Amino acid sequence: MSEQMEKNAVQKSAVQTHKMFMRFNLGQRWEHMLLLISFTVLLLTGLPQKYRAATWSQQILSTPERVELIQTIHHIFAVVLILEVIYHLGKAIILMARRRLPGDIFVSWQDIRDAGQMVAYLLFLRKEKPIFGKYSFEEKVTYWFIFIGIGIMLVSGIILWFPEVVTRVLSGGVIPAAKLAHSTEAVVAGIFIVLWHFYHVHLQRLNLSIFNGSISEDDMKTYHALEYEQLMAGQAGKSGEEQP
Amino acid sequence: MIRPLQFITLVGVLSIGILLIGLAPGSAAPSLQEATPTPIPNLSISDDYCLSCHGQPGQTFPLEDGSELDLYVDPEEHANSIHGSQGYACVQCHADVGEYPHPPFSAANRREATITLNNVCQRCHASQHTQAMDSVHAQALAEGNREAAVCSDCHTAHAVQDWVDEETGETLPSMRPVIPQTCAKCHSAIYETYLTSVHGSALTDQSNPDVPTCIDCHGVHNIEDPTTAAFRLQSPRICAECHTDPAVMSKYGISTDVLDTYVADFHGTTVMIFEQQSPDAETNKPVCYDCHGIHDIKRADDPEKGLQVKENLLATCQKCHPDAQENFPTAWLSHYIPSPDKYPLVYYVNLFYKFLIPTVLAGMGILVVMDFSRRMINLRKSRQPAPHMGEEPPTPESGHKTGLIEEFQSQIEEEITLEDESSGTDQPSQSAAETGEEVDHG
Repeated sequence: MSEQMEKNAVQKSAVQTHKMFMRFNLGQRWEHMLLLISFTVLLLTGLPQKYRAATWSQQILSTPERVELIQTIHHIFAVVLILEVIYHLGKAIILMARRRLPGDIFVSWQDIRDAGQMVAYLLFLRKEKPIFGKYSFEEKVTYWFIFIGIGIMLVSGIILWFPEVVTRVLSGGVIPAAKLAHSTEAVVAGIFIVLWHFYHVHLQRLNLSIFNGSISEDDMKTYHALEYEQLMAGQAGKSGEEQP
Repeated sequence: MIRPLQFITLVGVLSIGILLIGLAPGSAAPSLQEATPTPIPNLSISDDYCLSCHGQPGQTFPLEDGSELDLYVDPEEHANSIHGSQGYACVQCHADVGEYPHPPFSAANRREATITLNNVCQRCHASQHTQAMDSVHAQALAEGNREAAVCSDCHTAHAVQDWVDEETGETLPSMRPVIPQTCAKCHSAIYETYLTSVHGSALTDQSNPDVPTCIDCHGVHNIEDPTTAAFRLQSPRICAECHTDPAVMSKYGISTDVLDTYVADFHGTTVMIFEQQSPDAETNKPVCYDCHGIHDIKRADDPEKGLQVKENLLATCQKCHPDAQENFPTAWLSHYIPSPDKYPLVYYVNLFYKFLIPTVLAGMGILVVMDFSRRMINLRKSRQPAPHMGEEPPTPESGHKTGLIEEFQSQIEEEITLEDESSGTDQPSQSAAETGEEVDHG
């Protein structure tokens, strides 16, 4: 989605209701749904395989047929996730090449400063929270932590899936290393999602913008003040031009 | 017992009757076994009386198939057996034969005669008999394999030896080498293989007291069918019994981590789950003997079969992973626990996560808790009438109003009034835009 279109959307909606701002386009929302579903299924089918010493896990994996079924489900949703990653990266690369993707998601020095200011605010050393653009440093942490996590999961998962092929090139030691990384990173990612992501999108405030695509003006002002400011500035200029 | 009888009531008599019936078999049976091994042995018939005929070679008895049953008993042999040396008389086993002339006897052939005569053993050795009835031998016999071993096939009829140290319950060291020889009477090919194995050769060459004989893995009287899926799934525990015992393994410098490291890897975890959850499940996941061999187990550094030799290990992997190539076998940690020397990659990945997990947990946890508590504090403050502390109101509605935002808000309000006046007819297209769907086409 281009910046131009976004602006138009914001312009129109702002004019009409003064309330809703476009935050995620339909493609992005679908990507999140795919990620959510595949992540959940992979975690649910993966955890029993990791905690094989536990009774609950052994009751799930009790027969060879069940082990095979669970592994098959895991593989199917791994493919879903791989396709999603390919789509996500491919789209990002194409849009960036056409200079139609603003680099909002990339980490900058401002994010480090924001994080410092946020900690200072939480420690009562500052009276006000830092103001954020389209993606706050917390949201960038979420994105990049999961980005790197999925990278580790995909690489190690593929190594585990095709050990005979992988060891034609790499040393055999990568297999047990991948097994360890795969099963541990999964837990790290799981903890991260529950602790960090769920807190920010459910507890802190119920943020459904990744499902319905839009964000209220109030939330925009509160959580993305910089973006709001820029959009308004752009709109102000445009509105001025459009005035007869 | 007598007391209740003094108060004669119907109930009392009945209860005593039941009590007596209940007690009778229980109290009588052990004393019967201890004092008189056979039900009705005529102990007045002496061994000398029997041996006056049966001590003479050449005594035979015609069987139904025309073969002759040898009736000769070597007096020496019987005297030296555990039964003879403890003074058990011929009639205690052959209780139903009595004096000459004997009651009629017939059997289809010599094997049937042996099987029939073996029934006497259980009169004294009931528990062993019961165990043996559960064995693969009894099962084969019942299925029609008349060659399947019965008591006397292993123990002999008249030269029965003492196998067990009565005090310790352990097999007598002198009898250990005899065990494989006994099984070899039928299982001779396995015996030959066993003799070449690390266990068998140590037993025969060095009388090693630690190596397993047949019965240490297969059991004694209740020998299980080793070809079943259940036996396969249990088998790692058989090996582990010795191979996780530090007292035994330290003598030979063998690791006792073999079971734990096996269970920690793909193959072992799966096998152990099936063993506990579905003991009869068929699985192709390898157990100890799939890699190390069964009766032909060799030292790990054996040049021909030892798994420390790279080619041997690869050949072993290829049995199940035909596409495996040179690097593949090192995917298996070879029972090592990763360390900076052995499998450093695994070791350092583990180390990395040992730091990452607490860092993630603690870091995120602290931030979330801090954020949450600051919110709660702000909320409480805003509820109290404190006009000078309104820099952080709780609701987004009025939250974080910087000067900049306020400025923009007023600016937008101005715009809105302007646009509302000028563009009232744009209403339908604007409501479409509001759903956000239209935007995606861009």
